[in-house]
Amino acid sequence: MNTGRFIRDRLPAMFIRAAAVLIIILFMYSYRVSYGLIIAVMIVAAAAEAVTLIIDYLKRKPFYDTLENSLEKLDKKYLLSEMISCPDFYEGSELYEALSESNKSMCENVAEYRRSAEDFREFIELWVHEIKLPIASLLLMAHNNKSEISEKMHTQLRRIDGYTDQVLYYARSENAEKDYIIKEVQLKRIVSAAAIKNKEDLLLNSVQLNISELDFTVRTDSKWLEYIISQFMANSMKYRSPDREPEIDISAEKTADSVVLKFRDNGIGIPESDMPYIFGKSFTGENGRTHNKSTGMGLYIVHNLCQRLGHRVEAESVQGEFTEFRIIFGNNSFLDLTEL
Amino acid sequence: MSKIFIVEDDPSIRAELTELLQNSGYETDCVTDFSRTAETILASDPDLILLDINIPYINGEEVLRTIRQKTDTPVIMVTSRTSETDEVLSMSFGADDYITKPYNPTILLLRISAILKRSVKNVQTQTYRGLEVNDAKGSLIGNGKECVLTKNEMIIFRLMLDNMGQIVNRDDLMTALWDNDEFVNDNALTVNISRLRSKLTDMGCEDAIETRKKQGYILT
Repeated sequence: MNTGRFIRDRLPAMFIRAAAVLIIILFMYSYRVSYGLIIAVMIVAAAAEAVTLIIDYLKRKPFYDTLENSLEKLDKKYLLSEMISCPDFYEGSELYEALSESNKSMCENVAEYRRSAEDFREFIELWVHEIKLPIASLLLMAHNNKSEISEKMHTQLRRIDGYTDQVLYYARSENAEKDYIIKEVQLKRIVSAAAIKNKEDLLLNSVQLNISELDFTVRTDSKWLEYIISQFMANSMKYRSPDREPEIDISAEKTADSVVLKFRDNGIGIPESDMPYIFGKSFTGENGRTHNKSTGMGLYIVHNLCQRLGHRVEAESVQGEFTEFRIIFGNNSFLDLTEL
Repeated sequence: MSKIFIVEDDPSIRAELTELLQNSGYETDCVTDFSRTAETILASDPDLILLDINIPYINGEEVLRTIRQKTDTPVIMVTSRTSETDEVLSMSFGADDYITKPYNPTILLLRISAILKRSVKNVQTQTYRGLEVNDAKGSLIGNGKECVLTKNEMIIFRLMLDNMGQIVNRDDLMTALWDNDEFVNDNALTVNISRLRSKLTDMGCEDAIETRKKQGYILT
């Protein structure tokens, strides 16, 4: 609390009271009251003024001090009204009430948006599950009535399925704390599952898939990791180099305190200037402009997921030669995860 | 002929699934009144149950629990949910396998035949033109000779044998191989098939595998 400003605030009132006391003294003087009495009155008036000032000051000081302190320390400033208690002077209690009232109304407002966001997310999840039914039905129809067209439809259906999965994973990655089951999983099993899921596309693009040294166990959520690997595969096929047969090498390596999964392709690579931004939201970069259309969401979701799962993801690339993604599973990732 | 019971509430998927399974030589049965799902299944006494998790009245997990109290019939859980929780849950209730919608029909068939093979006791050794097919050793025995097949060749031969007299397309063969962690490409498949052909010829089976242009292969 700023003492100077507190006193300055009270100066006009003090002047008026001083003037009143002066006038009283003038009256007393003209009625020939004894000097001793006049001096006594002056002392009493001055003392009363000082005591009032001090009492006022002491009443306000704790309240304003907490207010200023809390405001400075809080990282969520809107919680201010929770940190202070109602003071026993008028302006203070008025301020306190206004603050609590406005905070309450803001909380309700925020809660409303949170609810509507949550509703929307739930709707999206439900919708994805619903849309899977007709997709499943169409896939079976294509399989039951084999022809050249059904093969083509099959490919397109898989694309639709991939995109709906992406919606689901995005909706969940934003708010997915409840959707993780971290357990020990075999890297090899997950990579195989991802490969089979993308089999049609990999074969269509005649990708040579080399899998080696994957006999490691890591702590992760298998569905999400499968999604991450599928995303890498999709990118490799999208940005394949026109001059050579596409190849994907997936391997893993154990270091002292981690397991590193390496995913390397021989595609067109990423320009060095784009490298720092590839995991950013909606970043499409040079490849996104010059090649197939890109949403800029794939690697963003990957990065987001890795962060939540407690893995690190790194990229390395030489334009025109290769791109390598590395996912680093810490051995002590269990400890990191408890902080989530 | 094995009987497969389909529990699926979407009529279109149910019809297609029935067709798929019947084309692959299975007998099928299904439920349309979901208020009595578990009873209908038990009354039908199938060899395998394809059980959807999201069905009306009660959920699939409960049906599974009820069935498990009465019988050990293998169950494959089918669902459109993709969360691990369901997988863990249904496995703990005693499902034998788990597949998510939309599934690859070939993989579904592979899983079904794998589970049926596991569950049917006293499997008769399968023979092909007098050759005994030994899955465990991965070899063909007959005419006083034994011929060892590689893992890939065995997978290919198995799938063709299971679909004897029907066209098996390259894609299905590829799926079967990939499902067994053999990520072969198009050329490797061609090589594997021609090796299998020559091995069969060595064993005295001439022209066992016929090529149907643009459609696939057929074992006769």
